[in-house]
Amino acid sequence: MDKKTPVISCRNVWKLFGPDPKQFLATLKPDASYENIRAQGYIAGVHNVSVDVGRGEMLVIMGLSGSGKSTLVRCMGRLHEVTGGEVLIEGEDIGKLDEDALINLRRRKMGMVFQSFGLLPHRTVLENVAFPLEMRGQDRHERRARALEVIELVGLAGREDYFPRELSGGQQQRVGIARSLAIEPDIWFLDEPFSALDPLIRREMQDEFLRLQNMLEKTIVFITHDFDEALRLADRIAIMKDGAIEQCDKPDQIVLNPATSYVAKFTEEIDKARVVHAGVLARPVNGIEVTGEPVSEASTIQSLARLLISDRRKLIPVAGKSGELVGVMDRQEALDVLLGSGS
Amino acid sequence: MIRKFTTTLAATAAAVAICLSASAPSLADDSSDPIIIPIHNWSSQIVMSNAVGQIYQSMGNNVEYVTTDSQAVYESVRLGDVHLELEVWEGAFGKSFREALEKGGLHDAGDHDAVTREDWWYPMWTKEACPGLPDWKALNECAHLFKTAESGDKGRYLDGPVDWLKHGKERAEALGMNFVVVNAGSAAALWAEIGAAEKDKRPVVVFNWTPNFAEAVWPGEFVEFPEWEEGCDKDPTKGPIPDKLYDCGNPAKGYLKKAAWDGMKDKWPKAYCVLTKINFTNPQIAEMAKLVDTDEQEPEEAATNWLKANESVWKPWVEACSG
Amino acid sequence: MTSFSRHALTGLWLLVLAVVLTALKPLLPPVLDRLPVWHPIWSHYLDTWFDWLQNDLGLIHVTRLAASGLGFLIDVAANLLYGKARWPRLEAIPWSTVAALAAVAGYYLGGWRLALLAGGTFTWCALMGQWKWTMETMSVIVIAAPFGFLIGLLLGIWSWKSSRVESVLRPVLAVLQTLPFFTYLLPAVIFFKVGPTAASVATIVYAIPPMILMTAVGLKKVSSDVVEAGKMSGCTRWQMLTRVYLPAARTEILIGLNQVIMLSLAMVVLTAFIGMPGLGAKLLAMMNSFKLGRSVEIGITIVLLAVTLDRLSKALVVKQPEHFEKGTPWWIRHQAWLVAGGVFVFFTALGRMVPFFNEVSRSQSLSVGSEIDDVMKAVLDWDPIQAVTGFLRYFFNVWVLVPTENALLYVPTFGLIAAITGFCWLMGGARPAIIGFVFFTAVAVLGWWDRAMLTLHSTVTATLLAVIIGMPLAIWASRSEKATRRMIYVCDTAQTFPSFIYLLPAIMLFGITPVTVILAILIYTMVPVVRYTIEGLRGVPAEMTEAADMSGATRWQKLVNVQLPLAMPTIAVGLNQALMFSFFMVIIAAFIGTRDLGQEMQRTLAGTDLGKNFTLGFSVVLMAITFDVAINAWAEKKRKLLGL
Repeated sequence: MDKKTPVISCRNVWKLFGPDPKQFLATLKPDASYENIRAQGYIAGVHNVSVDVGRGEMLVIMGLSGSGKSTLVRCMGRLHEVTGGEVLIEGEDIGKLDEDALINLRRRKMGMVFQSFGLLPHRTVLENVAFPLEMRGQDRHERRARALEVIELVGLAGREDYFPRELSGGQQQRVGIARSLAIEPDIWFLDEPFSALDPLIRREMQDEFLRLQNMLEKTIVFITHDFDEALRLADRIAIMKDGAIEQCDKPDQIVLNPATSYVAKFTEEIDKARVVHAGVLARPVNGIEVTGEPVSEASTIQSLARLLISDRRKLIPVAGKSGELVGVMDRQEALDVLLGSGS
Repeated sequence: MIRKFTTTLAATAAAVAICLSASAPSLADDSSDPIIIPIHNWSSQIVMSNAVGQIYQSMGNNVEYVTTDSQAVYESVRLGDVHLELEVWEGAFGKSFREALEKGGLHDAGDHDAVTREDWWYPMWTKEACPGLPDWKALNECAHLFKTAESGDKGRYLDGPVDWLKHGKERAEALGMNFVVVNAGSAAALWAEIGAAEKDKRPVVVFNWTPNFAEAVWPGEFVEFPEWEEGCDKDPTKGPIPDKLYDCGNPAKGYLKKAAWDGMKDKWPKAYCVLTKINFTNPQIAEMAKLVDTDEQEPEEAATNWLKANESVWKPWVEACSG
Repeated sequence: MTSFSRHALTGLWLLVLAVVLTALKPLLPPVLDRLPVWHPIWSHYLDTWFDWLQNDLGLIHVTRLAASGLGFLIDVAANLLYGKARWPRLEAIPWSTVAALAAVAGYYLGGWRLALLAGGTFTWCALMGQWKWTMETMSVIVIAAPFGFLIGLLLGIWSWKSSRVESVLRPVLAVLQTLPFFTYLLPAVIFFKVGPTAASVATIVYAIPPMILMTAVGLKKVSSDVVEAGKMSGCTRWQMLTRVYLPAARTEILIGLNQVIMLSLAMVVLTAFIGMPGLGAKLLAMMNSFKLGRSVEIGITIVLLAVTLDRLSKALVVKQPEHFEKGTPWWIRHQAWLVAGGVFVFFTALGRMVPFFNEVSRSQSLSVGSEIDDVMKAVLDWDPIQAVTGFLRYFFNVWVLVPTENALLYVPTFGLIAAITGFCWLMGGARPAIIGFVFFTAVAVLGWWDRAMLTLHSTVTATLLAVIIGMPLAIWASRSEKATRRMIYVCDTAQTFPSFIYLLPAIMLFGITPVTVILAILIYTMVPVVRYTIEGLRGVPAEMTEAADMSGATRWQKLVNVQLPLAMPTIAVGLNQALMFSFFMVIIAAFIGTRDLGQEMQRTLAGTDLGKNFTLGFSVVLMAITFDVAINAWAEKKRKLLGL
């Protein structure tokens, strides 16, 4: 397969809820608004969404509850049938697969983690984790070995024989994560995995998740309503409202250049300095003379605060990973990000 | 479509029937399958059934008892679900018995040497209050003597349990009697009523029958209604009132029969032979009822005790069939 | 607001119409007073149809074939439990083994107390000389309950899968749940032979509806996360059902099982009417002959059995699988089974060696039934008691039952239909009113009007009395935590008793009279009235009562203005259940001697009048469903108004 083919590709995906959605969509004007559709007795869960996720990329879908983010991710795994458009997984239209092929695809390629864990209450940790392996008919010993391996990975070794009700929320979600990883999926869906947990545990789980992601490098669609979480984790963020994607971009871009007023309102409260990297502010050198030590393009403006305030240079050089010069950053511009620009 | 389905069903049924009949035993010995004897809700029948069951057991047969309704039992005998019936009272069950007989599957296995009668009945002290008795017209004129809290101005007649189908209500209506007919829940309720009335010699009229232990405890008489005519329960023209059913009394000299399932003769020839010999008399039947109703024995014990005390009665029946 | 009052007005007009029709009765054309007696016609049609079904279509051969299979299973159980001479022709399991196994099961499921209850119950049965009767009853339950469970489970799954099946099943279940049990019995006898087989069929049919409902409810409740987790794990449909849905709905399914077991017990006892031997038959026989002491002993056995089966199956609902630490040896993991096996071997051997542990003969038994009989007779004959019961009997008869009954019978048919329609309208608006009109007209057309009115009279009178007595009791109990807990416990326990038991105290006090019927229904229907009233009152949010307290309300004001109005929807549910219970009980009370539909139905058991049996049965169903719909609509309306 072509390396450039996106792993997940949504093309004009619609998901309508109502009495006869297919028929309705066929007669719908392409520019009909959410309100417009609702007035006719239908709800647009997903409203003409097109988005690609590349290999190894983490796309965070973000929005308030009811914005359609969960519906979208369920369309990607075909837990929901789309009303219109298509979802391609590695170039193949998932909507056209028959039941066997779909089950097969899920058994080989997909893992999913749920907000309220979705653990089977009558099974032990081990049996829950081994469940997908059992479903695809792996033999007892193999699946036990593999399950123990992932349980170890998520840090639950020693609790294999516990039942979900005997575990804390955080531990239960670790089981959920372990289960979703058991089949070594290429594609990993996480539907608000940490939002049912209290803040301290959430933080810890996010760290844990980043550790796993660095190790495993999967293609990930991650859903959250917590912007901070999105910013911490995302390669790209898609912000949804009323079923449609308002903006889909790198975190810095979303913060710096919100596409719509809705996104702007979202980002208003965010401490931009924590999100924006020096690399984003870097402009081409274009023969300007640069002086002094460069800063790394990967460092956030916040981490450069001390330097920005004490340094007297107007333009500060920005260096890439290997130390090569990638551009210059206007100190004033960086200070505006740090301190807010309004004044 | 339906016809095809019907044929399939019939074919299945036929196949099953063949399988079943293939396992039928030889004629000489009784089958080891249990003989199923029905039990009803009055004492003499229960004790008699237990006694006969114990006789069969002494002959080496297996016996099981089932409690059944005393009217529905003829349908069950006909279909072979139960195998015999020891007390077929003409007045009470004659109709059900005849109907089943016409449909086929059961037959008359002979009479007991007993005369049965069942009808409206009063204990003797009642006659003092209403001297015109036993004539039914006199009873009707005394109706006010029999009123209770429940019956309002009319007199109350306590009929047998509903499932005995006594038609007391129909009779009272046909003859225009000033009585409310109430069904007792059980035979015991009848005795309780008579017993309660005895304390202050209150006049009562209740359903009763002979042979029965009650006649020994409380002397009394049956009310004389217009005499029974064959068909009085089916043909309105029979009896004194031309357009009414049930306008006569019950037969005053009714039979007491035994009935058997047609298949019994072949399946348990010896037991069947004994059944045809079985013959109880009025006093014997009253005695059996008494063991339970006044001596408070359990029916099983009562049967055992009765058999022990009356070997001369039943041994000959068994001997006559063992040869 | 205006729509509401117009709404009420229509109902009131209908009531006025009813009064006018009644007042004008002497002037009415006879057809408006009473419809002609059409039931023989319907019965005839139904009989023809049944006859066609039974004989021409040959259904009876199919059912008889099925009956022989079922009969075989029951015979196996009967052989093992009490040594009935059937295949496999083994000796009966000794009573001590059964009692010990019950104790082990009790211990494993719920600890020492349950072990004591379960073991104690079976020991009691044996020591009282009732072992054989108990086992006769159990032999049908151990076959009927699993069948009911399985069939209910399958139908439940089916109705959950297919909305069409659900829409067909829902009304059928509603009818089945209100169908008088006499109507279950006759077809069972005709198609499945008298005795245990017919009894088990009637029992299975009777026990299935709640199982179907609970299964469907449980499956619907499985959380979408769990379902999606299953799908994303690549489950096939079959795997989804067996590995995800059914295990996740375990709790509801087991509650369904509990219901199946309890209803099976209740029904098996009642099938004494169609020749099912066992505890029910003995109880019936003893009550028939007024041997109240022995009736009480059997009654206690049935109650103990009910409580044991209930607690065991409920413990199963709560019981969660437990995990063992790594390296736990296998004999500890399977401890319960090993102990059960050991107990079985030990007690069976003991029973074979020491006859007492095998079978307690009647002469060894501790039964004191006849002594209790004598005591009870003496007590009841005691003049003060006689005076009280005599007075109550007289008072209720002459001042309550007879006048109201005569009044109800006086009302012309169409007057009553108008009244019912008006009542339904006031309760829930047009829909219940239409249902009430159609159903009661159907009762009139079926042709058992007078008898139906007598049934209605007993039901409504008894339920009203239950409310008059039960509500204050519940209000009193709900004022203290302790009393509430006790009362709920009593109600929960009483609810497990088979309905038949409730006849016993009534007969003891009042003998065979109409008052007995009312009293039996009254006791039976008190349970839901008390239970739901307490639940309703306790369910009132604390802020509301506190707000009332802070506003300076007296206890009475608080009760009338705050608690009762808020508790009303819940109380209405209890009231509805009470009415349904009393429609059920009034039919059983035919056994005491009534003149209503039940009596006529019991009479049909004596023959093969299926058609008549059904016209009677459906008269009851139609009336019961009318009330069910009206009261539920009212409760729903109130709940909406209160925003609950």
